[in-house]
Amino acid sequence: MTKRKNLPEQELERWLAGSATPAETPAFALALDAAYAVSPQAATWRRAQQRLQDRLIAGAPRVYYDRVKSSVVGPLWVAVTDHGLAAVTYGGRETEFAGWVGRRLRATPVRSAERTAAVRRELDEYLRGQRTAFSVPVDLRHVTSFQRSVLEAARSVPRGQVATYGDIGRWIGKPRAARAVGQALGSNPVPIVVPCHRVLASDGSLGGYSGRGGLSTKRRLLALEGAALP
Amino acid sequence: MGSADQIEAWADKYGKEIHAYLWRILGDAQDADDGLQETFLRVLRHRRAAPILEPRAWLYAIAGNVARSQLRRRRTEGERRALPDIDVIAPDGVAERDRVDAVRRVVESLPSKQRQALVLRRYQGLTYDEVARVLGGSAQTARANVYQAVLKLKKAFPEEAR
Repeated sequence: MTKRKNLPEQELERWLAGSATPAETPAFALALDAAYAVSPQAATWRRAQQRLQDRLIAGAPRVYYDRVKSSVVGPLWVAVTDHGLAAVTYGGRETEFAGWVGRRLRATPVRSAERTAAVRRELDEYLRGQRTAFSVPVDLRHVTSFQRSVLEAARSVPRGQVATYGDIGRWIGKPRAARAVGQALGSNPVPIVVPCHRVLASDGSLGGYSGRGGLSTKRRLLALEGAALP
Repeated sequence: MGSADQIEAWADKYGKEIHAYLWRILGDAQDADDGLQETFLRVLRHRRAAPILEPRAWLYAIAGNVARSQLRRRRTEGERRALPDIDVIAPDGVAERDRVDAVRRVVESLPSKQRQALVLRRYQGLTYDEVARVLGGSAQTARANVYQAVLKLKKAFPEEAR
């Protein structure tokens, strides 16, 4: 094979058009074809197609939201889909929350006291100190698989106890990912219910909290739960 | 908002190639599946002032945006994934897999327009005119984007590696 400084344009165009033979295909193009000139398996497509058809028949999905009052952390907005609780947000205006949750979940936001009743009741009980664990299902379809595994791990920390970012990393098999764990928890779509406030820095300090009030909210939630604070 | 019937007709006609496009760019069956749903949801939610004259190019453009945000999200989370379902049949299986992984990394690091132009032209079989209708700009721009991508890939995979 002689070394070529410039790939002749004609040859390149032949490859781009799919009419070059392997012998006249340059190394980079062979490597590229190995990665991209493959098609999804028929079963992969059929699965996607079925899901799409079901969804098109059902039309655009909806997300139901409402407000929860709380003296401990201030008002909250909650949003529920057919799959469970999808968002908890500290305060803010209704229009902002509805717009944000609709965009995030790709659904039409509808205010509904009825659809959110179970979530609001559990949150209310929890914030009054009358509930130790949540039983409502949580909808984590809209986070990445990494974030989902972090949030699931955080969920396993019971009320009154704490873990560190490093602990979570170890539990999900990524012991060096403490920083990524912190980021994943920082964008927890369902704070309080997925108790990211129970996860602290490995040096024993509180770490961070992105909810309104920041660390003072984190401290208040931990105090409510009777956890030993650093 | 277009009629549901029309959107279903588009899904029948173009769904398969849009799915293949997402699958190629994302390299993951689940992400491609989600991307396809997301693409058509955006179509459903889209409020149109004027009728869509070129649904195929429009769908490709939406799918491209969906894929770009997916890739960006992966990058910000530093999440590197293997290629679970792209099976490469080669005598030296492992080395081939590493090479495929390396190629994907280079392609994923390209500017979005270059990556899309390359995949649309070479693997989705679109002409430069069609690529231009998806990405905006002229056929000339589309071609320039493909060539830019090719130049970077040539640099990353020199001839003697053959």
